[in-house]
Amino acid sequence: MTNVLEIKKLSKSFGDLKVLDAIDLTVSKGSTVVIIGASGSGKSTLLRCVNFMEIPSAGQIVLQGDLIGSGTGESMSYSDSELAKMRARVGMVFQHFNLFPHMTVKQNVMEGPRTVLKCNTAECERRADRYLEKVGLGWKADAYPSHLSGGQQQRVAIARALAMEPEVMLFDEATSALDPELVGEVLQTMKELADDGMTMLIVTHELGFAYTVADRVLFLSEGKILEQGDPEAVLINPKQEATKNFLRGHGSFRLPEPNLD
Amino acid sequence: MGYEWDFAIVFRDFDLLLLGLVNTLKVTGFALLFGVPLGLVLALARLYGVAIIRVPVGFVIEFLRSTPPIAQLFWFFFAMPLLLDIEIDPFEAAVITFSLQSSAFFAEVFRGGIASIDSGQWEASKALGMERNAQLRRIILPQAIKRMVPAFMERAIEVMKTTTLVGTISYADLLYEANSIAEETYRYLEVFTVAAGMYFVVIFICSMGVRHLEHYLGRTGEITTG
Ligand SMILES: Nc1ncnc2c1ncn2[C@@H]1O[C@H](COP(=O)(O)OP(=O)(O)OP(=O)(O)O)[C@@H](O)[C@H]1O
Ligand SMILES: [Mg+2]
Repeated sequence: MTNVLEIKKLSKSFGDLKVLDAIDLTVSKGSTVVIIGASGSGKSTLLRCVNFMEIPSAGQIVLQGDLIGSGTGESMSYSDSELAKMRARVGMVFQHFNLFPHMTVKQNVMEGPRTVLKCNTAECERRADRYLEKVGLGWKADAYPSHLSGGQQQRVAIARALAMEPEVMLFDEATSALDPELVGEVLQTMKELADDGMTMLIVTHELGFAYTVADRVLFLSEGKILEQGDPEAVLINPKQEATKNFLRGHGSFRLPEPNLD
Repeated sequence: MGYEWDFAIVFRDFDLLLLGLVNTLKVTGFALLFGVPLGLVLALARLYGVAIIRVPVGFVIEFLRSTPPIAQLFWFFFAMPLLLDIEIDPFEAAVITFSLQSSAFFAEVFRGGIASIDSGQWEASKALGMERNAQLRRIILPQAIKRMVPAFMERAIEVMKTTTLVGTISYADLLYEANSIAEETYRYLEVFTVAAGMYFVVIFICSMGVRHLEHYLGRTGEITTG
């Protein structure tokens, strides 16, 4: 299996605060990797370093065999245009959707292909139609984001990222800002993507979702991957005390299987 | 008491007042034509320029905002020609002064508008692979400008009012014409009442236009929540 993404000895500090400490991670094509961990453990920072929303302090990122930047692992240098090109190959979905409010749903989805990839109008439209259909929102193409529910907005944001036909998708707590009844539709969309073979790196607090879709789960603690493995190993039979504590906190109040027939 | 209003005299010279109004609009129009884009350039330089650009630009903006416009006008009309050994007519001096003067204020309006845009908009456009110019052009400025429309209009009206200073360098704007008619006819009350009314009508029409524009721009729903 080919590796879409290789993260080598990635470190990131904000001033004196060391947030990521020599992280190594490879993500193979079509796999879904879920990152869990306590608040402040560096999950968002890890994701944001992958597409250089934050510039790593040290370490290397390799996307489909291409080393991003130049230099040795300890000190890399990057050009703005190189990073912009790299980001175009990676889709990112944010907690707060961040749709462009002055554009319709369709224009939002067409924006990347048009402005960044310089696709012609027919191609932009084809992609917008295709990916809006995929997230089930073709019928909202002409609406403005402010007229959509949170769940619909997030699905548009997913379509917007997909329209770039990225090599890997990053999700940073994509459902955390949603009302509970809207979480399911977004998770469902993400699961379909995983089933289609999209390569995904997901930060989430939805452990049930992680259990269902992840090929691999990472538990991040104090800037290091403390434990990793398949969902069964990490979420059901954790070995590390920190992982157990984290799972205890998440499972304090649990519903027995509701009878929904 | 017992003042006998006589507008007939005013209206005999109404063409002069209209000419004055046209001149006022000319100066205002040119000042806006140059001042607004220059304001954007200054704002971007102050926001994103390297320090060697940012600092002087900030100083120029503050200087223009903190000196009386009439002092600037006199400087450009009387002082600058001496300095550069050139000739300059009142119209040119007025356009230069009010372009620069208003650009400083427009720069602050632009800066405020850009700063008011949620950082998530920068993030999302950056994540798509846009570079700064594209981000500004496609995502940030279109939203910022919508929010700035009221502040812009207020500024534009302010510019128009400030152009009344051009009379001091003998440029025949509306107020200058009104003044000369008044001095000739001694009908100060009527003349200045009509002149004020003309300013009012122009500015009022502009304000109404802007209100419609705001309503139109607000149709996507984000301007009111902003
Ligand atoms: N731009 C920044 N400047 C300074 N410190 C930062 C910055 N971004 C993150 N941090 C710090 O880095 C640490 C890790 O933050 P990060 O957002 O990656 O955590 P997280 O695991 O995503 O947490 P959460 O679950 O709350 O989202 C935190 O202590 C945070 O305060
Ligand atoms: Mg986070």
